[in-house]
Amino acid sequence: MTGNAGASRGVDRIVRHHGRNLGLALALALALAVLAIFSPKYMTLDNFVVVALQMAFIGIAALGTAHLVIGGNIDLSIGSLFALTAVVSAMLSRVVPPVLAMTLAITLGAMIGWLNGALVWRIKLSPIIITLGSLAILRGVVLLLTGGYSVRGVPREFAAIGQERLLGLPMPVIALGILAVLAQWILVRTTLGRHLFAIGGNRDACEAAGIPVRRLVLGTFFVNGAIVGLSGVLAASRFGSASPSFGVALELDVITAVILGGVAFTGGEGNVLGVMLAVALLGVINSGIVSLGIDPHYAEVVKGAALVVAVTLDQLSLEARERYRKMTAMRER
Amino acid sequence: MPLEPATHDRPASRAALLRCVGVSKFFGGVRALNRVSLDLFPGEIVALVGDNGAGKSTLVKILSGIYRPDEGELWLGSERVEHLTARRARDLGVETVYQHLSLCDNLGAAANVFLGREPVRWRMGPFRVLDEERAIVEARRRIEEVGVALDDLSVPVRRLSGGQRQAIAIARALVSAHRLVMFDEPTAALGVKQTHVTLELIRRVAAQGIAVVLISHNLDDVFAVAQRIVALRLGQVSLDAPLAEVSRATVVAVMTGLAFRERELS
Repeated sequence: MTGNAGASRGVDRIVRHHGRNLGLALALALALAVLAIFSPKYMTLDNFVVVALQMAFIGIAALGTAHLVIGGNIDLSIGSLFALTAVVSAMLSRVVPPVLAMTLAITLGAMIGWLNGALVWRIKLSPIIITLGSLAILRGVVLLLTGGYSVRGVPREFAAIGQERLLGLPMPVIALGILAVLAQWILVRTTLGRHLFAIGGNRDACEAAGIPVRRLVLGTFFVNGAIVGLSGVLAASRFGSASPSFGVALELDVITAVILGGVAFTGGEGNVLGVMLAVALLGVINSGIVSLGIDPHYAEVVKGAALVVAVTLDQLSLEARERYRKMTAMRER
Repeated sequence: MPLEPATHDRPASRAALLRCVGVSKFFGGVRALNRVSLDLFPGEIVALVGDNGAGKSTLVKILSGIYRPDEGELWLGSERVEHLTARRARDLGVETVYQHLSLCDNLGAAANVFLGREPVRWRMGPFRVLDEERAIVEARRRIEEVGVALDDLSVPVRRLSGGQRQAIAIARALVSAHRLVMFDEPTAALGVKQTHVTLELIRRVAAQGIAVVLISHNLDDVFAVAQRIVALRLGQVSLDAPLAEVSRATVVAVMTGLAFRERELS
């Protein structure tokens, strides 16, 4: 009897920890099965590499956003920051060595991220509204810098970095892989990750426990800026040019992936594997719809619906948990 | 109301763990604390009572290093503490268990017990790698020490009962509190049974030789566990006496200021 209870608790635990990821993996398998049947040409290694490359920039940015949201924050300006760092790195590459141009652009991204964080910290308002302002400001700056035209004529060495391949995989995909492993390690194994979850759960408790909350929150904004910068720089390098319309609605794709991937919008919950599965799922849906000959505008509808459904499910399960808690509290009395 | 027999003699002969001498605190023109003197002894449970605004939480915040007193001295043993910060207070073994528990609901019991003081396996630059096994073993021992058994220390604490959560909050305070633990309205949100469990936990803390300050509006709680009562009124100590020597009526009168008026009238 006890063995039985123990086993069911084990199952309960797996579902509690991995339920979302199992669901995402199933959805991914289902999408791939549909594609295998109706569009066999989709199922080639080359095509998967192309899809992975398309999603790599969103995936990298999603890692930064996942950390921010777990800590109870968000930065909506990433779409414009992506474009700014891409454009700046491309422009700089014409006057300074490519690695320096990239480093400077990533540093700029980190500093702007930090500035967003500092504003959010000081103006204790919703980070949504403040970084929505940054989103508009930065896009304006990008358009002013470029006059609305793409930055072309970057040196070959600058483009070479993003076009490099390793084991048949494009550079941005490799960068995503390395960063994903690092991000997961930080979140699960280190005090930094633990404190981010804790801040997302109860910021006051963290202050009382002597955790340097301000430094951590500003740090995640800084790192997020750097990560978005890296993504933007890799895009400019990969495409050998930077368009001022880079990253339009990137924040929507990234937040959809993060929330669909099981990061609670209210903070304190989430894991990297889920986010990566969600990025893969969105990538397959996006490209699969095209491959199936369906009007690509449906992809937008599906993406938006995925976000709404994910948030609704999260909220419903939160309410269910709250009811469960009240129930046990009542029983104890 | 049956009184608990005093568990030990009034520790007048023993050295005070912590002494406040003539402590005052101003907020603008308002004197929140007016030359408050208070001695706290190891193993003694002192009930701190008073009406809203009497200065209870100001006093607690001074003792936990959040506010700095404008006048007066703080002594820890025979050493005068000049600049008590929150960090310093914790290092000196002073902890507060707040009314709203200050647990992270999304984390497990072990993570909550060691919040901000996680056992670390090794470090590299800004990264310190958690020693989860040690955290679980140590947290289990500490939670059992306060008399509560939990089978899974990684379940988010939001799934636990009020009494279990209170035990986790207390176990956390005891990680570094070896001198003084202050409980801010610990039973305010609890039912009858959980209140009973919590009061028992408070007794156990004191039994370890730690000074305990219990802030409560509930005189039943006060009379159930405390050995001494300190009442604040308008920022001043209006009563400091062994509980065995005072009646509930006196306590109520002192808290509400009735005693003063009677004295003035007579």
